[in-house]
Amino acid sequence: MSRPGFVLEVDDRTPPLIVHEGLGFRLESFPLGTRVVYPPESIPTVPDVEEAIRDALLHPHDCEPLPELLRPGMRLTIAFDDLSLPLPTMRAPDIRGRIIEQVLTMAAEAGVDDVQLIAANALHRRMTAAELKHIVGERVFRSFYPQGQLYNFDAEDRDNLAHLGTTDKGEDVEISKRAAESDLLVYVNVNLVAMDGGHKSVGIGLASYTSLRHHHNAKTMVQSRSFMDHKHSEMHHSAWRMGRLIKEHVKVFQIETTLDNNVFPKPYDFLMKREWEWSVKDQASMLAMRRGLAVAPAKLRHKMFHDLRGAYGLTGVNAGEVEAVHERTLEKVHQQHLVEVQGQSDVLVMGVPYLGPYNVGSSMNPILATCMGLGYYFNSYRGQPVVRKGGAVILYHPLNEGFNQLHHPSYVDFYEEVLAESTDPAVVGAKYEQQFAEDPWYIHLYRTSHAYHGVHPFYMWYWAAHAMDHVDEVIWVGADRRVASRLGFRAASTLADALEMASGTVGTSPSITYLHNPPHLLADVR
Amino acid sequence: MSFLKETADDVRLVARGWRWGRRAQVPRSAEQWVPPARSTVFRTDWSRRRPAMAAREVAQKAGLEPLFRSQVRTRVEGLDVLERTSGPVIFVANHASHLDTPLILLSLPDAWRRRTAVAAAADYFFDTWWRAVGSSLLFNTFPIDRRGGAMAATPGEVLADGWSLVIYPEGTRSTDGWVGRFRMGAAFLAKEYGVPIVPVAHRGTFAAMPRGQGWPAPGRRQLTIRFGEPLVAGPDENVRDFAGRVKDAVAVLLDEDGTTWWEARRRAAAGSTPDATGPKVAQWRRVWEQTESPRADAPARRLHAWRS
Repeated sequence: MSRPGFVLEVDDRTPPLIVHEGLGFRLESFPLGTRVVYPPESIPTVPDVEEAIRDALLHPHDCEPLPELLRPGMRLTIAFDDLSLPLPTMRAPDIRGRIIEQVLTMAAEAGVDDVQLIAANALHRRMTAAELKHIVGERVFRSFYPQGQLYNFDAEDRDNLAHLGTTDKGEDVEISKRAAESDLLVYVNVNLVAMDGGHKSVGIGLASYTSLRHHHNAKTMVQSRSFMDHKHSEMHHSAWRMGRLIKEHVKVFQIETTLDNNVFPKPYDFLMKREWEWSVKDQASMLAMRRGLAVAPAKLRHKMFHDLRGAYGLTGVNAGEVEAVHERTLEKVHQQHLVEVQGQSDVLVMGVPYLGPYNVGSSMNPILATCMGLGYYFNSYRGQPVVRKGGAVILYHPLNEGFNQLHHPSYVDFYEEVLAESTDPAVVGAKYEQQFAEDPWYIHLYRTSHAYHGVHPFYMWYWAAHAMDHVDEVIWVGADRRVASRLGFRAASTLADALEMASGTVGTSPSITYLHNPPHLLADVR
Repeated sequence: MSFLKETADDVRLVARGWRWGRRAQVPRSAEQWVPPARSTVFRTDWSRRRPAMAAREVAQKAGLEPLFRSQVRTRVEGLDVLERTSGPVIFVANHASHLDTPLILLSLPDAWRRRTAVAAAADYFFDTWWRAVGSSLLFNTFPIDRRGGAMAATPGEVLADGWSLVIYPEGTRSTDGWVGRFRMGAAFLAKEYGVPIVPVAHRGTFAAMPRGQGWPAPGRRQLTIRFGEPLVAGPDENVRDFAGRVKDAVAVLLDEDGTTWWEARRRAAAGSTPDATGPKVAQWRRVWEQTESPRADAPARRLHAWRS
């Protein structure tokens, strides 16, 4: 029986609590009265994964069963989420591969010849062959990759993009030509958190910069409250408008999956337990890991964390018409992540872990850390932000991992040149976004190497726009001071110092809330 | 060096945070989310066999008793009732402290003590193997489930084997030293197996070592214990009435312990025995009254007349 999430109030019986900070974690003794939001424990998984997938394909929502949509001579395209989901990467076999295998089995039975598989990576970096193989599985990889029918989406390949028109708000819809011209587009998603899926899958995953710029900008993101709640997110409204337009051009068969909260495999599972319930073994594992990390060189620490594979279980799989499917998916996601929190607080504390969507196998550079803390974690709310308007956010991350030149070349220039001038998302967007988006060298690296698109660091900064607009003070505990100051924030060495620094904004005895994730949670703030 | 220092700091932090050597605590706001303890079944038959009995004899006589006597003073009354009874019986006592069990066991005559087992909460004393082994070896405890559920050895089996039992019908230690609600398990067992109940009342254990304290307070506090006349359930008496009678007997004994036998008898006859559950006053006053150790009739200190 899994227990729901709950809000702990720190008292004299509370042991120190785990706070993630990059490639490590610390034990923090929070002030008495601090609220700590714990995510629900893993909800029950489906008993038979293969059977659940089969059932979803044969009994889709608001749509004909998949075999009825397949016929000889048709053009079938299967698109799937890239390696930014789930986090950490799922232990093999990946759920997307298992679904794609069943879709292909049905396609083979129906005599479909023209099949292509596209990784919906939008402006993310191209995945390596090994990464593609991990997602789709060896069988699919061997059958399609050598023939060039399994590939990464290229948002800068002008010849292979199709402009489908504009929405009633004048937003361009430009997606993969192959996908747009298919008789059937099957999209296989992993709905790790509430912001994923729905019309965001095709409408964003297979879209080009021309299309993305309409919702990936500071103005839209400030109005997305939060982007974890698609009904109150301007970004999602835009994606929904685009999705409905896409629906007029191509039949989309959406397959969405939901996962449990089993993020950390053994022996790191103590990171998912409630601290006061740690057994002696958990305490010993934690001590061993902490001391190990203290002596390990940075490279080894990086390897230790990035080699973790999530032992996720499948909690649900739904297929059919995009919106009908997404509604059911969200139900499951909410069941797994939602925690009721009563009222806002003056200070919000969050630990930024080693991994975000854009540094799989890479480094968590300062811009990604900001995006993770002020973007994803800050926005993990429904209703109203966990911290009040004008409050303070305290984040934990050393901000010392540097930049990965292979994956994040444009980030370096963004950090060195753009942030040096301004840290206001709207200002930097208006002045520099176009230049970075159209830079031929970044486009070349995006298309031929494994670099994120030139405009990507701007998007990271936009994710954080709502938080920057909402709070008055952002303090990083344990961070490199110079880096924090370049980002427009301040650094403190301890939580006590951070609270002292924030006292000018929130007073000397502020109410504090700590979001105890990962595993993922979504605070339902009443 | 800094690595060693940080390691020591980490270990110290964990040792303090997770209360090494003490029972773990759950934050108050998380208490409602504690999963029900799984009732692990630890067998305790071995602890009632000869080798364990021998080991227990040594542990109690050579370890527990000297230690106990060095920390508290005791006054035992009413043991003569045991001379008129042949076992097994059920000793039913009020429960205010972890000192209650050693107090009762060490007050019993050796022959009785060796054949007495103590019913202990399965979720508290039997939650880990070492606690289970330790408590059953030292105190001859066997698990009973406070929440209801299957157990390895039922109290009935232990009784049927000819062992006397110590049962605290309150089910838990008192939070303020006064007697709580009596459950009916002990009365039920006595009626079911046809054994008498010996009411036992003791005072001073709460003052010496209340809940939450791990060692008796300094100064060799006084404890008093009094055994009452055995009670037998009448043929037509139901368990509820019998349990009430047992509770009244404990209350009279407590009264007697604080005053005199004669006064307590007269009050009992008049139906004005003081309520063992304590006065209906502010909680602090209830606790305050109980924090005072009972006075023994014997002088507190040895006379030093012969000291040179």
